Amino acid sequence: MAGAGGTRILQDEAVEEKGERARMASFVGAMAIADLVKTTLGPKGMDKILQSTGRGQNIMVTNDGATILKSLYVDNPAAKVLVDISKVQDDEVGDGTTSVVVLAGELLREAEKLISQKIHPMTIISGFRAAAETGRGILEKASFNNSKDKDKFRRDLLNIAMTTLSSKILSQDKEHFAELAVDAVLRLQGSGNLEAIQIIQKPGGSLQDSFLDEGFILDKRIGVGQPKRIENAKILVANTPMDTDKIKIYGARVRVDSMSKVADIEAAEKDKMRQKCDKIIQHGINCFVNRQLIYNFPEEIFADAGVMAIEHADFDGIERLALVTGGEIVSTFDDPTTVKLGHCKLIEEIMIGEDKLIHFIGVDKPEACTIVLRGASTHVLEEAERSLHDALCVLSQTVKDSRVIYGGGFPEVMMSNAIEDLARRTPGKRAMAIEAFATALRGIPSTIAENAGLDAAEIVTQLRAEHAKERSKAGVDVIRGTIGNMEELGIYESFKVKQAVLMSATEAAEMIMRVDEIIKCAPRKREGMGHGM
Amino acid sequence: MPGAASHAGAKAERYIDNKRKDDVRTMNMVAAKAVADAVRTSLGPRGMDKMLTTANGEVIITNDGATILQKMDVTQPAAKMFVELSKSQDVVAGDGTTSVVVLAGALLRQSLNLLAKGVHPTVISEALHKASDKAVEVLTNMATPVKLSDKETLVRSATTSLGSKVVSQYSSLLAPIAVESVLSVIDPARPDRVDLRDIKMVKKLGGTIDDTELIDGLVFDQKASRSAGGPTRVENAKIGLIQFQISPPKTDIEQNVIVSDYTQMDRILKEERNYILSMIKKIRATGCNVLLIQKSILRDAVTDLSLHYLAKAKILVVKDVERDDIEFISKTLHCLPISNIDHFRGEKLGHADLVEEVHVGSGKIVKVTGIKDKGQTSSIVVRGSNQLVLDEAERSLHDAQCVVRCLVQKPFLIAGGGAPEIEVSRQLGSWAKTLLGMESYCIKAFAEAMEIIPYTLAENAGLNPIQIVTELRNRHANGEINTGINVRKGVVTNILDEKVVQPLLVSTSAISLAAECVRMILKIDDIVLVR
Repeated sequence: MAGAGGTRILQDEAVEEKGERARMASFVGAMAIADLVKTTLGPKGMDKILQSTGRGQNIMVTNDGATILKSLYVDNPAAKVLVDISKVQDDEVGDGTTSVVVLAGELLREAEKLISQKIHPMTIISGFRAAAETGRGILEKASFNNSKDKDKFRRDLLNIAMTTLSSKILSQDKEHFAELAVDAVLRLQGSGNLEAIQIIQKPGGSLQDSFLDEGFILDKRIGVGQPKRIENAKILVANTPMDTDKIKIYGARVRVDSMSKVADIEAAEKDKMRQKCDKIIQHGINCFVNRQLIYNFPEEIFADAGVMAIEHADFDGIERLALVTGGEIVSTFDDPTTVKLGHCKLIEEIMIGEDKLIHFIGVDKPEACTIVLRGASTHVLEEAERSLHDALCVLSQTVKDSRVIYGGGFPEVMMSNAIEDLARRTPGKRAMAIEAFATALRGIPSTIAENAGLDAAEIVTQLRAEHAKERSKAGVDVIRGTIGNMEELGIYESFKVKQAVLMSATEAAEMIMRVDEIIKCAPRKREGMGHGM
Repeated sequence: MPGAASHAGAKAERYIDNKRKDDVRTMNMVAAKAVADAVRTSLGPRGMDKMLTTANGEVIITNDGATILQKMDVTQPAAKMFVELSKSQDVVAGDGTTSVVVLAGALLRQSLNLLAKGVHPTVISEALHKASDKAVEVLTNMATPVKLSDKETLVRSATTSLGSKVVSQYSSLLAPIAVESVLSVIDPARPDRVDLRDIKMVKKLGGTIDDTELIDGLVFDQKASRSAGGPTRVENAKIGLIQFQISPPKTDIEQNVIVSDYTQMDRILKEERNYILSMIKKIRATGCNVLLIQKSILRDAVTDLSLHYLAKAKILVVKDVERDDIEFISKTLHCLPISNIDHFRGEKLGHADLVEEVHVGSGKIVKVTGIKDKGQTSSIVVRGSNQLVLDEAERSLHDAQCVVRCLVQKPFLIAGGGAPEIEVSRQLGSWAKTLLGMESYCIKAFAEAMEIIPYTLAENAGLNPIQIVTELRNRHANGEINTGINVRKGVVTNILDEKVVQPLLVSTSAISLAAECVRMILKIDDIVLVR
């Protein structure tokens, strides 16, 4: 295909696709991606098994658009764009990762029709932009803000959490988890720092048994012979080798001429360790948490001093612990006065399922809390964590920008009606693009209905008619299979999520439409020609 | 679903797409059902065993669902989920690992029928959830409370669990052991928690299962080191648990000892001897006469020389104690691990009346009895005539312990022998009649699926399953809710009179876990290959 027989400009194996072909290729790729995740949309969306081709063939069951897309093999450049926007959506607002891809797919599907009618891509783009602007205006107008009223706002948050969770595995226990998520996020007091919320998975029990606990839980064991319960703990969080302080110069060695000297050196080494431990103990602590291993010898010294020593807490663990207890991670112990210790009211060993864990209660940072997830299997737990994470993200966004809006296809239909109105007032070919945008927006409620096994065309047209009336609050009521009042059903979404979906989907579609040539560089030669990136 | 039936045109358009998704779903279900069928015949006291040959040629004979599935090495994703399911049941209840899979298989079969009738998978999934909640409720109402002091009842429920295993003929011996061992590790401060890791099981080949015993004390798999003729029996023992090594010094920094002439060699040997001797003297000075030495990878834990001196000092030595066991040992013996010779003080030692090495079959074990201030732990020596029986005995004993643990956590018992399942089926069936629409239909299907347990029990026992199940239904309808199958006699009777009981937790968790797993499989419409 390259160069059409003429002079070769590109490398041997490079591929070049031009004009119509290029556009086709990217449209097809993007739509294929959109179709893949389409069925996961909405409360009756389906899950996917992700089967790893790598070693162990691990499987993962998920409903989360971002997770599915993130782990896909994607070769098509346009498809990669969609994967990226879903990732960005995940990082920015945490939810709506499927919607954004589906909307972009619908936009491209409509654009394709227009292009086949010989409308220039740039005209389509400008029409899309105008439509998106109008859509956003309408969205802003339809949103409302209850942040003044505490009770009402909490209910809004609960509703948002339930809406997010209803499309996930947690849907059956969504009230329970919505409470958990809202409580956790409200503890943050608007800081939006999700780091302070720790999620622990423990197989066994059922999802209903999941609970929120204040403080911090560390999945480690306390050293042998040390106190298992400490009140008013002073905690030193450290990252230091507690095996031996080795001389780290390669090849350093000692030459001696008798066995007693070897014994001396060993004693000296032990002594060094003892000094180090003494220094640590002199900080006036009664709990010592180290990222690295603590060997038997220092462990015993700590035990003798009545200090609880916890070894091998991972990076994540000690960073969080330092964060929530207000301590600092230390690696030298020469100056006890400058070291900031962590504090908490009580440390004790608790049992969850079959495992013993260490619970830090009454930590300095009141926002710190831990959600312990219980469930039938690791698949369930992993998916539950992803779902809960989505809900937490959306909630923390909503706490920051407290505008909310109805869900269930309500905003899309409303926008689409307004945009159609705009199309009627716009002269020229641009109007066709604007109209196409309106059609694409209706793709979302239509997909939700379709996934629920409803007659999509029937539902969407009914909705549209309903929205022609003033102050309608109609959306798809998936459970009953009709259209319903979204306010009564309590289906709310975060304004920020909806806006991000609209804007980034439009941008992605625009970007893909602008493409008229794809150049694929020659793949890097590799041994065995594995699947490189 | 109003409107779903109309607009045939729109449906035809989506036909191809849906076909593929149906295929994926059906494929998943068929695969998962195959897994369920594989373990189905091992359910119940007359269930059969499976022989498994692992990839490295090892042979396992077992009746334990979790073990069978774990070793089956399935690759199909949905089938894998069934394996996970049985693992979860193992974690939650420890028993009923076969039932949970069989039940999930039956639910899948019913779901397939419903799908074929055009019911939307999410509708089935929701109905399953409701039905399982209701089923748990029914079971809870059937349950009778039990007191932990009522050992007889505990033993009976352990017996029921053991009844389906290879070792069932020894259940009169094993069941009390399981009960005693679990009860002895209950922490008085937290009476509803049991950590089975506080029970140590030592397997020794030789003898028969009859020789299995619960030991009030501690048992080491290792024999006492006596290459240098040390003692093998110590009365009034003072036990030291050490984490340091009694061998020539070794530094962390690399070191060379340079010997430049012959006389130095002698001196070094002497120094080594003195070094070790001085350590042993310190140990001896505290009155310690039993040493437990932690395994060390960096350095020899003991050398021939040190063993020799230890033997001379009349100290019994058990070496190669795993680091993981240290906490258990220190808890049991009420002693503290000692990691440096300088810390070797009398107050860190544990005390016991007797430490002795005993011959058990072909091997030897070290027994510690009469421990002062013994912790909340227990030890069991499991015996068996061959490795296969031995392993199975250990697994069965573990299951029985789990049953007792369930009762400690949730002290309620229900009848066994398929009685609760039939009752759930009957009550759900009548509940379904009060509902409308798809939900009612799906719950009816759930009720029918529950009958798989008595059906399979009867089938495995060589009885006529249809006759048995219908008789059960009939008698339950007449209000005899504890009627179940007495598999051994092959008749339908009041199962409580036969003393076949099981913990409530096993049944409830089996139902809710199975429903959860099936719901997950139902919701899957695609398998995507990823990195």
